[in-house]
Amino acid sequence: MNVTVIQLEYFKLRRKRLFLISTGFLLVEILWLFLNMNQSIMRNPDQARWEPLIATISSMNGLFLPLLIAISVSRICDMEHKGNTWKLLLTLSVKRSRLYFAKFFVANGVMFTIAVLQMIAMIVYGILKDFADPVPVNVFMQFLIGILLTNAAIIALQQWVSFALKNQAFALALGMIGSFLGMTGGLFPFSIRRFFIWSYYNELSPVAQHFSHDQITYSLTNLPELLPLMGTVFIFAVSLYIIGSFSIRKKEV
Amino acid sequence: MIRCIAVEWLKLKRSLLWLILFILPFISVLIGSANFSLNQGVLQKEWYSLWSQVSLFYGEFFLPILIAICAAYIWRLEHFHHNWNMLMTAPVKQSSIFIAKIIILSVLLLFVQILFFTFYIIAGNSLGLTAGLPGEIFGWFIRGWLTSITIGTFQLALSMRIRSFALPVGIALCAIIFGLTLYIRELGMFFPHSLLTIGMGVLSQSGLTSIHELILFLTMNILYTGVIIVIAKQWLEKTDIIA
Repeated sequence: MNVTVIQLEYFKLRRKRLFLISTGFLLVEILWLFLNMNQSIMRNPDQARWEPLIATISSMNGLFLPLLIAISVSRICDMEHKGNTWKLLLTLSVKRSRLYFAKFFVANGVMFTIAVLQMIAMIVYGILKDFADPVPVNVFMQFLIGILLTNAAIIALQQWVSFALKNQAFALALGMIGSFLGMTGGLFPFSIRRFFIWSYYNELSPVAQHFSHDQITYSLTNLPELLPLMGTVFIFAVSLYIIGSFSIRKKEV
Repeated sequence: MIRCIAVEWLKLKRSLLWLILFILPFISVLIGSANFSLNQGVLQKEWYSLWSQVSLFYGEFFLPILIAICAAYIWRLEHFHHNWNMLMTAPVKQSSIFIAKIIILSVLLLFVQILFFTFYIIAGNSLGLTAGLPGEIFGWFIRGWLTSITIGTFQLALSMRIRSFALPVGIALCAIIFGLTLYIRELGMFFPHSLLTIGMGVLSQSGLTSIHELILFLTMNILYTGVIIVIAKQWLEKTDIIA
């Protein structure tokens, strides 16, 4: 049954051009990344390495992905508000929790595709720029896991808000605040920023940046070191999903 | 026209949009002031340093997205049910509908600007800044508002054509990045989002140094607004509406 509901969600999206819009958004981010990287390589050829590339995109993801998620989730949920199709959906013999899960699954699917495309673009860029080291597959996998976990937590929050409030201005305003906190999260002490789910793109990055004497150095963070943070964001994702799903189950349509 | 404006105002009555209009400038000033407070060792130019922190978040990021949200909100009702048909059969000029929406958006943005500048002054006084307010503050206010109207006209045209609430907001973020790139390449005078950066003295507080620059700034704003209004009017008059 779940598979049918998920298939139906994809079917409903067929003319929404969601993948096209998300890819366009990704294109802007990637172009900005490559422009930045080209400039820093021109200034200092030592920057032609995987570490700066991954560290830079991790910071940029904090700005771009929360808003992209807000937009995607809003489009997935708003079509039920706009078409007044909630009542139609609920007359089917499908539980609300399954509908909720199907939308969550589809939103994660869209964002997974974006994360994979982003990774492929980075690898192609590295190969074209003749980076000295071979493609660090393990680091990229770790990078992908971090993105997917953070995505899941943010999607759970956005889906809850997009469903609970018919007016999508609030969901998008939240996405905007999220983008902002994702970008500036590093300015806050860890005790505060650990509660900002949007800042985990940077927190879970396998490459850490260190600023000293006008120089930026990079170091790799191993997977075991990141496990506690991954656990934290996973708990956030599960909690937000459960709260959202429960609140929508109880909501009167 | 007056009736159109009154109707648009009526549509916004009882909406909770004011909450967003209030919260976003507040968060910008709050975070900017916190950053200023934590880095006072480096940021020693009192009001100017505080401005560099609060306007960076507000002018570069929050304001353009806030404009996009407001513009999408103003068109939101038209995209519901068969409201487009009702709107197009109303005994008013199509261009009046669009211009009325621009006027309403301008009033909302004026309110946001007033709030932002009030929060800035309150934050500066609370942080114990003793010097007088910067002389450029009125210029930042007016030029920021004028460019907000230009960006708002662009966003209104987008939200008129695109039924989705969210997509024009996404386009706004892409426009911010594009504007920033143009600003860095010293072509900032030719794109609305980078005009905002220049007008509000976000990245460089020297602002517009000559009368020629000011004329170019005003001309570009008027040109963009005028062209977008003409295109929107053409679209409303010539294209079949699908409600």
